[in-house]
Amino acid sequence: MLSRIRLTLKQHRFETIAVTIVCVGLTVAALIEAYRLNSLNVPLSCLQSYQGGYMGPSQAPVTAAQAHCNELAKSFNDMRGSLDMNLVQLLLLFAPILAGIVVGAPLVAREIEQGTAPLSWALSGSRRRWLLGKVLAGVFLLAPLMLAVGLAANVLEGALNPGLNPYASFSNYLGRGVPDVFWALAAFAGTFALGTVLGRTMPAVVLALVVCFFVRATWDAGMTHFVLRQFAVQQVQQDQQQQQGYMVYGPGGPGNADMYVYYKSFIDGKEVTDAEVNAWYNQNMVCVPMPTQSASTSPADSSSPGASSSPGASSSPGAPATPDNSKMGDNGVACQGPNIDPSHMPQQVQYVIPGSWYWQTIAFESGLLLLGSLFCGAIAFVWVDRRRPY
Amino acid sequence: MALGGGASTGTAALAAHGLSKRFKKKIALDKVDLSIPVGSVTALVGPNGAGKTTLIRVCMAFERPNAGGVEVDGVDPWKHRSEALRRVGYVPQTPAVYRGLSVEDHLSMARSLHSGFDSDYARRRLDQLGIPLDQRADTLSGGQAAQLGLAMALGTRAKVLLLDEPLANLDPLARREFIQVLLDAVKSDGSTALLSSHIVTDVEDACDRLAILGAGKVRLDCPLEEARQTHRLTEADSPPPGATAIGSFLGKGGKNIMTLWRLAPGDAAGEALETASLEDVVLGYLAAGRGTGLQLN
Repeated sequence: MLSRIRLTLKQHRFETIAVTIVCVGLTVAALIEAYRLNSLNVPLSCLQSYQGGYMGPSQAPVTAAQAHCNELAKSFNDMRGSLDMNLVQLLLLFAPILAGIVVGAPLVAREIEQGTAPLSWALSGSRRRWLLGKVLAGVFLLAPLMLAVGLAANVLEGALNPGLNPYASFSNYLGRGVPDVFWALAAFAGTFALGTVLGRTMPAVVLALVVCFFVRATWDAGMTHFVLRQFAVQQVQQDQQQQQGYMVYGPGGPGNADMYVYYKSFIDGKEVTDAEVNAWYNQNMVCVPMPTQSASTSPADSSSPGASSSPGASSSPGAPATPDNSKMGDNGVACQGPNIDPSHMPQQVQYVIPGSWYWQTIAFESGLLLLGSLFCGAIAFVWVDRRRPY
Repeated sequence: MALGGGASTGTAALAAHGLSKRFKKKIALDKVDLSIPVGSVTALVGPNGAGKTTLIRVCMAFERPNAGGVEVDGVDPWKHRSEALRRVGYVPQTPAVYRGLSVEDHLSMARSLHSGFDSDYARRRLDQLGIPLDQRADTLSGGQAAQLGLAMALGTRAKVLLLDEPLANLDPLARREFIQVLLDAVKSDGSTALLSSHIVTDVEDACDRLAILGAGKVRLDCPLEEARQTHRLTEADSPPPGATAIGSFLGKGGKNIMTLWRLAPGDAAGEALETASLEDVVLGYLAAGRGTGLQLN
């Protein structure tokens, strides 16, 4: 079997070398970017207090220490938003799927296209054993490379979000770490299954690209809506989170290590719909146009506890009421309500997957991807036994 | 109905019984009965599209028959594929080699796929032909690639060799070399070979048996010598007495219509006529199959 794996990799040397170079290059690039960010040594407090001009020219005198702090934070933010950083992050996001497709597409399809399948199938009594040798070669190539890429992406994620423990946070959690391996394997299995069924490399690549990117694009929403919803727990109070160290610095302001799943609204202890909440505000609040500057707010203030860079941790909907009973409306409209006891105002309860459940969630979602891979693989193994070798 | 050897016997290395294969509306094989005796080298001759490749592919379990079946060394390849393929060495139509792999890699691959593959035997054969083992297969000449394919088939030490037009793309020298290697192997191993070709002259010196396939039907299946001795060629208007007309076709030079005759047993008058060449025999049967020949008798 080892001999067959070696020969398969040699047979597909172009794909093997290309994927290896890209993955190693990407791993190194991610580590370099993380090193650059870390070498700035920006104190977390600077990032949290940095306003970046969002509030306009401050009237308060700025101390030298604050100026230095702001300068460091600005350098950090500039580096975070730089072209090379974005490029590396983009490649890290798509590398697993692309690598899986590149390795998987020619595995069987090219043998059929180039007429070598009859040669091998005539020699091998079992086509499934033949396919197993080829599949193992792909797995042995992809798994370590993708693990390296995923771990480097974890390091970069930690550098991008100081204070964040990448292994206890859902910030971009499907685009880094162990899931990278399973995304690659799923793309690989799906593509070689398509190649086995279609018997043509390019159509398999095109179809795999469409299917894989559709699955990737809808995975978060699907998981949140259909699966993780069952396990979400009520979010602990913000001050408790801070005490427990959940509070992290995320894009645009402090974020949360938890994954926001859904919320419920209550008025006087009774669960209500969004429409009922809006109706309550329309009834109880008076909105007047306000100057834009005073209506806008810093990213830190506008971000809900659930906001972070994680796809699943999006901002909570609705406009939260501030403690003084004013509500920031859209387009610079500020609403001032009557003097109502805050306990009678609409309350929003968020349900989240806590960051401490990171490994369980990763294992669960990776398991689902693995199941998908096995399903696709099973199709290929059944089909290869029935199809013609040309 | 095929003339000659006909139905399967207990000693057949390869036998087809009422084998039919259809691709949508096109009939590739139509109730084919064929029997290839053990130890023979059989030429499977027919024009393009006659069904030669389909017959071999059915024997390799690449195609499923619509009716009837085949047996390779007594094993039905569709029902017991592993068992059947262990008994078959196969050389495909075009010399299919892995582009990035060396000759030695091909032998390694064959060894990893086929438990009984004799690498030393295959290597010796390639050495004899001066084919470097470290050479990349995609840089081999057509003849060398064909020899590599043959060496891989022979290395399986299979009882039955199926060769699907392996000579089609080879130059005359490479053809002769290929056939010589094949004959040496068959002789030394005692195996059986079915060699398909649409060029009669390629195979007439190599084979001891002839099977003519035309439009999906077996037109003739008999020993080569019998085919030569029992057929005569004359101009259309001079039939030998007692002979059966097989088919008529345009003779060499395109001037005369020639007719192939099958002599009745003990037809002394017919035997006195000049024997037909193997090419004439094939042409006569193919003309009959196409229905383009003159209808005599």
